[in-house]
Amino acid sequence: MRNIMKISVVYCLFMAFLLSGCSKQDTKVVNVLNWSSYIPDSVIRSFEKETGIQVNYSTYSSNEECLAKVSSAKKGTYDLIFPSDYMIEIMIKREMLELLDQTQLQNVGNLDTFYLNQSFDPGNRYSLPFVMASTVIAVNRDYISDEIISYQDLLNEKYYNNITLIDDQRIIIGMALLANGYDMNTTDEEALEVAKDWLLQLKPNIKAFDSDSPKNFLVTEEADIAVLWNAEAALAYQENNNIEFIYPKEGSALSMDNFAIPKGAKHQSEAYQFIDYILRADVMKKIIESYPYKNVNQATQTLLGTDYLYNIASNIPASIIESGFYVENIGESVKLYDKLWAEIK
Amino acid sequence: MNSKKLWKFFFICPVIIYVSLLIALPLIYILLISFFQSDYYGGMISTFTIQNYIDVFDQVYISVFLKSIFIAGITTFICILISYPFVLAISHKKPRTQKILMTLVMVPFLTNSLIRMYGWLVLLRKSGVINQVLMGLGVIQEPLSLMYNMIGIIIGMVYTLLPFMILPLYSSVSTVDPYLLEASSDLGASKMKTFFKIIVPQTLPGLFNGSLMVFTPALGYFFIVDILGGGKMMILGNLIKNQFLTARNWPFGAAISIVLVLITSLVIIAYRKLGGKMEDLGGA
Repeated sequence: MRNIMKISVVYCLFMAFLLSGCSKQDTKVVNVLNWSSYIPDSVIRSFEKETGIQVNYSTYSSNEECLAKVSSAKKGTYDLIFPSDYMIEIMIKREMLELLDQTQLQNVGNLDTFYLNQSFDPGNRYSLPFVMASTVIAVNRDYISDEIISYQDLLNEKYYNNITLIDDQRIIIGMALLANGYDMNTTDEEALEVAKDWLLQLKPNIKAFDSDSPKNFLVTEEADIAVLWNAEAALAYQENNNIEFIYPKEGSALSMDNFAIPKGAKHQSEAYQFIDYILRADVMKKIIESYPYKNVNQATQTLLGTDYLYNIASNIPASIIESGFYVENIGESVKLYDKLWAEIK
Repeated sequence: MNSKKLWKFFFICPVIIYVSLLIALPLIYILLISFFQSDYYGGMISTFTIQNYIDVFDQVYISVFLKSIFIAGITTFICILISYPFVLAISHKKPRTQKILMTLVMVPFLTNSLIRMYGWLVLLRKSGVINQVLMGLGVIQEPLSLMYNMIGIIIGMVYTLLPFMILPLYSSVSTVDPYLLEASSDLGASKMKTFFKIIVPQTLPGLFNGSLMVFTPALGYFFIVDILGGGKMMILGNLIKNQFLTARNWPFGAAISIVLVLITSLVIIAYRKLGGKMEDLGGA
């Protein structure tokens, strides 16, 4: 008898587990799918408090993961996403995005027009910029005193096992292409072969590929040179003021993350409210202070302190943006990059 | 009688649902899409092709297979080296102590393995605990490179997978008749000889089961390679993950997964051909 009791309890628990998640709620919600570590929790809590809208927040760590999540989930699962430039283009092509109604956004005028009307979404019909990022070389000047101005300088044998790179095939292969004078988005097999040889030559100097927290390598002095996103570099600088930032002469990789509403989103008016809230000068200030990417909000720019403004890692100079390159959609050729990546590793 | 059968079915039902919903269906789905064509935007075109399987046998990917098998092999070997003495030592303890010690083997499972990997990071890095202590004691002058290389990967793999070797080996060893060991030593066999002639043959099923449970996941634990290996090496796990998350080539990722399943199945078939019984693999 006792056994039956036991089994029944387990059985009930199991069925409860199977059936859980079938409940419904009436409170206003917005389902946000965003990059991990991009908006501080406090901003989301104060949005909830101010509007009474509950934010269901989930994250991704690459554009492809965002694409996979949105396209494999039931239509209307997500109300707001933050894809980068080339992913916006892909999503527009695949008709995955709703047209944005800018009249629903009171604060849209806060955006700096310099960042609007990009080639991936002319006229900003589907997306609006959130923040910008660029790759940068960060060097710990406590240990490295050589002049570094080019990606080629990273090949120096002195840096054996001392360089950290972002774990992103398009960015790192792109860097190798730029170092050798090619277009960062080329699909020319000969150019890619050159890039491969260059990376194999660089490999002994590579300590690790890490996208989650490359700044930790600099902070813990595990590596003294890193190629990483600007905000990560700026955060590392907060820990060690002897870290110098170098934008190499060949140009940097750029990335612009954008607000976009997936097709069929069920809570669009809440999504607009969320976008509008983030476009507010004081809210954007809080976000930028936590994650010092390049701010694209004109009204916020005047509120930011000199710590941010005078730091070229966080406040990327306009000349760098003008000479930088975006990752472009290369369609089927992504296969070549993927194979090359397997060869390097 | 009949109602008893019905009851039985009622209680087995969740298991059937569980296995078919969460194991069989996804596997069938993977098999299906491995014959599809990718549209390179994360979508698939449902035209039948075997191109994905031809691509798997590209020299680049073969070398990924070989590297993975190498790492998994070393991991399995080290796990065996550690587990035998451990299990034999435990089996001589009082039953109560045995229970406590075996529970301790299971304790790490209570924490997420990813978090435990970050724990190793703190221990192994250049300015980590191990290097600090060794340098403080004057054993070494320069910090050792304990991670972001092969050593780190192997440490992580062995640490994570060791319990999977210990558990089946323990249940095998506890079935060995102590009188046989006594008889062996009475007849003048050395301890080594007793181990190789008596213990190993009788614990082969446990050894094989453990090896399978260590070897197979070791082919795919990409997070260990990423964290403790510094992402510098690509094993099958990374390769498959990349197909789904960066190359947007789901069919190819599926094809690699199917080849991986086939390799594992081959190992089991070889085991059966060599006279092993499937029941023994189920554990005690």
